[in-house]
Amino acid sequence: MGGTGETMRNPLPLTTHAVRSSARGLLVWSAGIAGTLFLYLPLFPSLGGASELQAIIDTLPPELIAALGYDQITTGAGYTQSTFFGLIGFALMVIAATSWGSALLAGAWESGDLELELAHSVSRTRVVLEAALTLLMRISVLLAVAGTVILALNGPAELDLEPQNVAAALVALGGLAFLSGAGALLAGALSGRRSIATGVGASLAVLGFAFQAVARQSNDLEWLGNLSPFHWAYDPLPLQEGFAQPGLPLLWGVGAVCVALTVLVLNRRDVT
Amino acid sequence: MHAGPAIETQGLRKSYGSHEALRGIDLRIERGTVFGLIGPNGSGKSTTLKILLDILRPSAGTVRVLGEDPRRAGAQLRRNLGYLPGELRLDGRLTGKRLLRHLSRLSGAVDQGYMHGLAERFGVDLGRPIHSLSKGNKQKVGLVQAFMHQPDLLILDEPTSGLDPLVQREFHTLLHEVCERGQTVLLSSHVLSEVQQVAHQVAVLGDGQIVGSGEVDALRLRAIRRVNAGIETPEPARTRELLREIPELAGLDVNDDPVGLRISGTSRGDIRAFVRELSTLPLADLSLEEPDLEESVLHLYRERGQGQLRTASQEPEPEQQHGRNGGNDA
Repeated sequence: MGGTGETMRNPLPLTTHAVRSSARGLLVWSAGIAGTLFLYLPLFPSLGGASELQAIIDTLPPELIAALGYDQITTGAGYTQSTFFGLIGFALMVIAATSWGSALLAGAWESGDLELELAHSVSRTRVVLEAALTLLMRISVLLAVAGTVILALNGPAELDLEPQNVAAALVALGGLAFLSGAGALLAGALSGRRSIATGVGASLAVLGFAFQAVARQSNDLEWLGNLSPFHWAYDPLPLQEGFAQPGLPLLWGVGAVCVALTVLVLNRRDVT
Repeated sequence: MHAGPAIETQGLRKSYGSHEALRGIDLRIERGTVFGLIGPNGSGKSTTLKILLDILRPSAGTVRVLGEDPRRAGAQLRRNLGYLPGELRLDGRLTGKRLLRHLSRLSGAVDQGYMHGLAERFGVDLGRPIHSLSKGNKQKVGLVQAFMHQPDLLILDEPTSGLDPLVQREFHTLLHEVCERGQTVLLSSHVLSEVQQVAHQVAVLGDGQIVGSGEVDALRLRAIRRVNAGIETPEPARTRELLREIPELAGLDVNDDPVGLRISGTSRGDIRAFVRELSTLPLADLSLEEPDLEESVLHLYRERGQGQLRTASQEPEPEQQHGRNGGNDA
C-alpha cells in the first residue's frame, strides 16, 4: 500500500471494492437482523408455549391464520418461522438484497460509475458475476448473524430447534433474498434504472408471499402456491423437516438463471 | 505492438430507433498525435468516443482501436486505453484516493508515484470525499484516472470543461509530454480555439457526419470571422454602390445606421484582402470576432457543397442528403 511499482493483481477487484465500501451498511443490517431476533425469540416461552396464545389464535379467522402461517405457532419451529423466517426476517433480507441488487448494477449505471469502470480493463461478464458474488457474500453475512443468534437463543428461549433444520431454514431464506437481489440485477441490466430494479426485486418477494398466502386459502388455488418462491423455500417447513423442500433447488436455480440472463443482457446492449 | 493507426473507423453508424446519431464516420488517427474532434453539442462526438471504448455498440461500420475490434478485444484492449467521460458525475462517499486505487486495480499496473504526481500537478486533494469536490476538482480526478496507467491511447471527452485556465495550461503541457512518449490522444471539444491550440489534426463533426478534417489550419476555420463595422458616410446610397463592387465585402448585409452605414455578416477567405478593402472606407468602428462553432460548422457544410474543402472522408451521397431533408420536414 502506498508503494511504487506494480500492485498485486486482485482476482476479485469489484467484489473487494464493493464489500469494503459497504461495511458500515452491512453492519447496520446485521444489527437489524440480530435485534429482531433478540426481540422476538425470547418471548416464546411466555407466548407461544403458553395456552393463552393458542386461545388467541383460535379466535382469529382461519384464513388469516393460514395466510400468516400461524397454524404451527405454538411449537418453537412454528413460532420462529412465523415471526422471523416467514415475516420480519424475510422482509428485512429481501429489502436488503433488493437494495443491494439494484445499487450494484442500476445504481452504478445511473451514477456513471459503471461507465467509468467499463472504460478500464474489466469485462461486462465480470461486472455482473462479481456483483452477484457481492450479493451472495453480504447475504451470507446476514445469514451467519441470524444463525448465530438463533442457536444462541435456542436453549434460553426453549425453541427446541435442530441445528440442521435451522441451517435448512437459513438456506431457504438466503435463496429468497438472492432471488430478489438477482431479479434486481436483471431488471437493472434491462432498464438501466435503479427504481425499476428495486421495483422488480421487491415485486418478486411481495408476489411470492401473496401467491402462497392465497394458495393456502383453498385447495383449488394450490397451483398458485407452486408459482411462489416463498412456497419453494418453506414447504414443508424446514425448521421442522430440515432440507426436505422439493422447491429449494428451483429457488436457487431461478436466482442463478437471473444472474446468467443479466450477463447475457448486459453483454448485448449499450451502456447509455 | 500493433504498428498501424491508433484508431481507424469506416462507415461508422449509430442509430437510436429512428434517430441517427452517427451517419457514417471515417476516421484515421495516427499514433503519437493529438487529434481533436470538434463539433457543436449533439453532433455525435461522445457517441463516437463511447463506441471506441465498447460502451456503445455501432449499428454499422468497422472500428479498429490499436488494431483491434473493441467489441471482440474487450477488457484486454481497454488496459491500453484511458477514458474521461463527457459527463463525469463522481458523487460517491469515497475519497479520491480510494476511487483511484479501485480503478487502478481494474487496469492493472499503475505507478503510484506517477499517479500522485498527476494529482499534484493538477492540484487536487485526493484525501477528500469525491462528492465534496467542486466540478473542476472532480474533472481533475477524472483526468488522473484516465492518465494514471499510462495507456497507449487516451480518449478524452471535453477534458478541460470546468478547469481554470492555469490547470488547462498544465493539461496542455501534459498532452505534449504524453505525445512525445508515443501515446496517442483523441480529445473532443466544442471550443474551437482549444483544439486549435493542442491538436495536430482535427475532424469537425456536424449532425453525425464529418464535415471537414485535416490539419487545423487547412480547415480555414480561422478565416471565418463575424464582422461588424460602421461607415461614416454622408452619401449612403453612393457608398452602397461602392460596396457592391468590392468582392470581399459583397456577401455582407448593409443597413442604414446613425453613423451612416453599418455592414455586418460573416467574412470568408483571405482576411488580409478583406481588411485592406475595409481600410479604404471611412470606418467609425470595427469588430472582427471568431464565430461560435455552430456557425463555423454551418460554413463547412456550405463549402463542402461547393467542393472547396479538403475532406478526408468521401463526399456524401446526394440521396442521403435528400433523405435527411425529407426526414426533417416530416
